[in-house]
Amino acid sequence: MNSVFVDAFRCEWLKRRRSLGAWLVAVGAFFTPAIITVVRLIRHATLPQLYADPLFWTLHWRNAWESMAIFFVPMAAILATSLVVQIEVRNNAWKQVHALPLHTATIFFAKFAVILLMLAQFFVLFVLGIYLSALLPALLVGGVAFPPAPPLRVFLADTALYYLDCLPIVAAQYLLSLRFNNFLVPIGIGFLAWIAALSALSWQYANLVPYAYTMLDFLKDNPDARRAVVSSGMHALAAAWSVLFVAAGYVGFATKAQKG
Amino acid sequence: MLCLETTDLCHRYSAGEAVLHDIALAVPHASIYGFLGPNGAGKTTTLRLLLGLIRKQRGTISIFGRHLDEHRVEILRQVGSLIETPSLYEHLTAAENLALLQRIHRVPAARIAEVLERVGLAATRDKRAGQFSLGMKQRLGIAAAMLHRPALLILDEPTNGLDPNGIIEMRDLLIALNREEGTTVLVSSHLLAEVERLVSHVGIVHRGRLLFQGTLDALRRESQSAAHVSLHTADDGHALRLLADAGVPARCGSAGLVLPAMPPPHIAAINRRLVEQGVEVYAIGAQGGDLESIFMNLIGSRAA
Ligand SMILES: Nc1ncnc2c1ncn2[C@@H]1O[C@H](COP(=O)(O)OP(=O)(O)O)[C@@H](O)[C@H]1O
Ligand SMILES: [Mg+2]
Repeated sequence: MNSVFVDAFRCEWLKRRRSLGAWLVAVGAFFTPAIITVVRLIRHATLPQLYADPLFWTLHWRNAWESMAIFFVPMAAILATSLVVQIEVRNNAWKQVHALPLHTATIFFAKFAVILLMLAQFFVLFVLGIYLSALLPALLVGGVAFPPAPPLRVFLADTALYYLDCLPIVAAQYLLSLRFNNFLVPIGIGFLAWIAALSALSWQYANLVPYAYTMLDFLKDNPDARRAVVSSGMHALAAAWSVLFVAAGYVGFATKAQKG
Repeated sequence: MLCLETTDLCHRYSAGEAVLHDIALAVPHASIYGFLGPNGAGKTTTLRLLLGLIRKQRGTISIFGRHLDEHRVEILRQVGSLIETPSLYEHLTAAENLALLQRIHRVPAARIAEVLERVGLAATRDKRAGQFSLGMKQRLGIAAAMLHRPALLILDEPTNGLDPNGIIEMRDLLIALNREEGTTVLVSSHLLAEVERLVSHVGIVHRGRLLFQGTLDALRRESQSAAHVSLHTADDGHALRLLADAGVPARCGSAGLVLPAMPPPHIAAINRRLVEQGVEVYAIGAQGGDLESIFMNLIGSRAA
């Protein structure tokens, strides 16, 4: 990586300091684990049995990812992307960014890299939250067996795939956020696309829907899913959609007639 | 030598009328160039084109002798700009705002304190930009523009929101940068009076056309040639004949008679003579001659 890109990236990374997007990542990541912890503390009578289950971590992991895969990850991808781009719009700063001695591609990819890193942060904090939400009730409630060491390798592999699954959403939202200065437009479209993906889950071509991959990933081997979900080749498709949206986003960004 | 040159620059916003016509700017190296025109004249549009912020539709732009199309990044390394309102991240402090740019421009971190001092914001370096007054934001915007010691500063109405004292400080700062570091300054304004004591060169733009370009002295000369004496009497026809007899070349204007510029004692003599001949003089006096009136004149006469 060349050093100009590194400088541009560090500059972009500084901008998100104290911004709403940065707070959202921290709060959003710990939200589900916090809810799980609170619910367990309230239903503490059931804990000894749950923690003694040999499948404790599998159950806990799935439990934590349910709301994430269906709701929080798509929302985080939509909001974080819009908020990062909005930092420039709200502060009238695009004109300054474009008057810097940087190539358009540097500007585009440095900002995109910041969004990707913020989401990676979101995932890492969430996994940490999952771990804490397993430990805390065991520490706080008496007579509960301490959980065994978690299957970290499986968790990390799962997490990495979920991350890949949400990239089409990030790339599409980045394209939209750069296109429309009013942040309600990308957020609105993103929300509608999420609802559309949700209702397309049982469709036979659900694996072609760019906003559906995190949900499909969660549901693919879920015995409770109402119908078998079509998830064949979904990670490759997610990667393909991401590349397509990034390329389209870049073309739109580079050919914009008025840059701030 | 020219620092910045454009030829034939035209622009039309989507589906609208053309807002710039054949703008040919010539900004000499190490000059302070005042780009003047009323609101909506096309100043900001021109400056945006110079920075590549809007896509050029026709014409050429060269800065430091190179074409902007091919050498944009190298050129921008040496250019500092402030277009309309300053671009400040309101959730970051003054120093953090500059630190962002310092990274890209690769200047020493010590330069941040230096420019803050220079624009009078040293005491507020750790205050968030969102809490700044309009004038303070404008100063921070200037600090950001000059952070990397650019060879060319492009400032779009930089005195917006400044108090009279701030305007004088800004003027002194720009003059100092120009003298000490040889910075070429291209500064736009809608008030000639505001930049009259700052600029060495002037370009006057109105409705997207460049009406005048040259040194401030050349503008002064032109304004002197446009000066005249206006005369309004009870009987302009009679007065015209009397003046012709006296050898004064007068003509009928839109509001009374127009006489060539002359020293005040001559004006008094003409007045006396007319009164003695029984012509009632309602008004007589020198007109034009100052920069503001040539400016208004240029704008007014070619507005049709
Ligand atoms: N983004 C835009 N879209 C359409 N028209 C614009 C836009 N910006 C400026 N204009 C028009 O272009 C003309 C010149 O504007 P501008 O360059 O901002 O003038 P100035 O800076 O001299 O006040 C005006 O008539 C203005 O209405
Ligand atoms: Mg303007």
